[in-house]
Amino acid sequence: MSETRVLEIRRKALEANEAVARRLREGWENTLVLNLISSPGSGKTTLLEATVSRLREEYRIAVLEGDVETERDADRIRALGVPAHQILTGGACHLEAKLVEKNYREADFGDLDILFIENVGNLICPTSYDLGEDFKVALLSTAEGEDKPFKYPAIFSKAEVSIITKADLLPHLPFDVEAVREQISTLNPSGRILLTSTLSGEGIDQWCDLLREKLGDKRARSA
Amino acid sequence: MHEFGIALEILKTCREAAAEFRGARISKVRIAVGELTAIEPDLLDSAWEAAIADQPEEGSKLEIEFRPAHQFCPECQAEKPRSEGSWMRLCPDCGMPLMIDGGDELDVLQLEILKEDEDE
Ligand SMILES: Nc1nc2c(ncn2[C@@H]2O[C@H](COP(=O)(O)OP(=O)(O)O)[C@@H](O)[C@H]2O)c(=O)[nH]1
Ligand SMILES: [Mg+2]
Ligand SMILES: [Zn+2]
Repeated sequence: MSETRVLEIRRKALEANEAVARRLREGWENTLVLNLISSPGSGKTTLLEATVSRLREEYRIAVLEGDVETERDADRIRALGVPAHQILTGGACHLEAKLVEKNYREADFGDLDILFIENVGNLICPTSYDLGEDFKVALLSTAEGEDKPFKYPAIFSKAEVSIITKADLLPHLPFDVEAVREQISTLNPSGRILLTSTLSGEGIDQWCDLLREKLGDKRARSA
Repeated sequence: MHEFGIALEILKTCREAAAEFRGARISKVRIAVGELTAIEPDLLDSAWEAAIADQPEEGSKLEIEFRPAHQFCPECQAEKPRSEGSWMRLCPDCGMPLMIDGGDELDVLQLEILKEDEDE
């Protein structure tokens, strides 16, 4: 004899990841933590280089580098005198909280003001995984299609800050910045949108100011 | 392709929930997947088949409830119907920017287990 039973569960499918993310977030009470997400080559590492160059005297900064298998991206940050730790993802298409926790412990950065987590270059898979960050930053370069936000609505609706990178290329490309801004603010009416170029320096001051503001807000909240 | 990892997480959740029913076999799993989760229901379905292959759950069905995101106007205090996959920036009635609600569900809702029992 067999009997069918129906169990009501109502649990988040990724609850295990979220439990670790909550633990990480508690430990980062005084550190501003950002999760950078984009397609490969949109300019995550280059933006981080420009950012740490400007802010390294002002803040204790470190980078967890999940972007590539090699130590190349981490080396680029270390070359600027800022600690960086390469996460070996084993070819995974996204970072998970458990892997971030393990690597953060290994890295032993000490007290930090700002921690950047550069996710694996992928605009889809990292979206679902909370890493304990304060917010996600989505990057989209002007060299990519201008329909990207509507093609990848999940990440652009979730990222508190969206950055359109490589603004210096705009004169050479059919990329309608206003149309892209419209798409992003449709998906995320309260999100912030920046336009940057690491070549001309455009937008980098605003980006650094945003980081100062977010860190200040967080410290004020936890005080 | 992260659907396989998600299928494994769902399987783990199901096993935990069914653990207290000794000798029970999972026959159906109902989940909700929101439009804004970056998860492709078809891929998740195939990933589920792969995750349960040669497992005690082999043959169980994954039932996916797709949950679209909603757009609503804070001014009109009303939901504004949209056609699937398309988005409106402004309220068609009053011109205010629309807000988005829901679509981020990724939940295991319900489990159907089969008890081939003699041991109660
Ligand atoms: N023209 C231009 N090129 C950039 C800019 N930012 C990054 N790049 C280039 O884009 C390529 C990929 O950048 P990288 O930071 O490694 O991208 P990631 O894969 O997202 O980390 C490199 O060749 C960079 O030099 C920019 O603002 N302007
Ligand atoms: Mg990189
Ligand atoms: Zn309205």
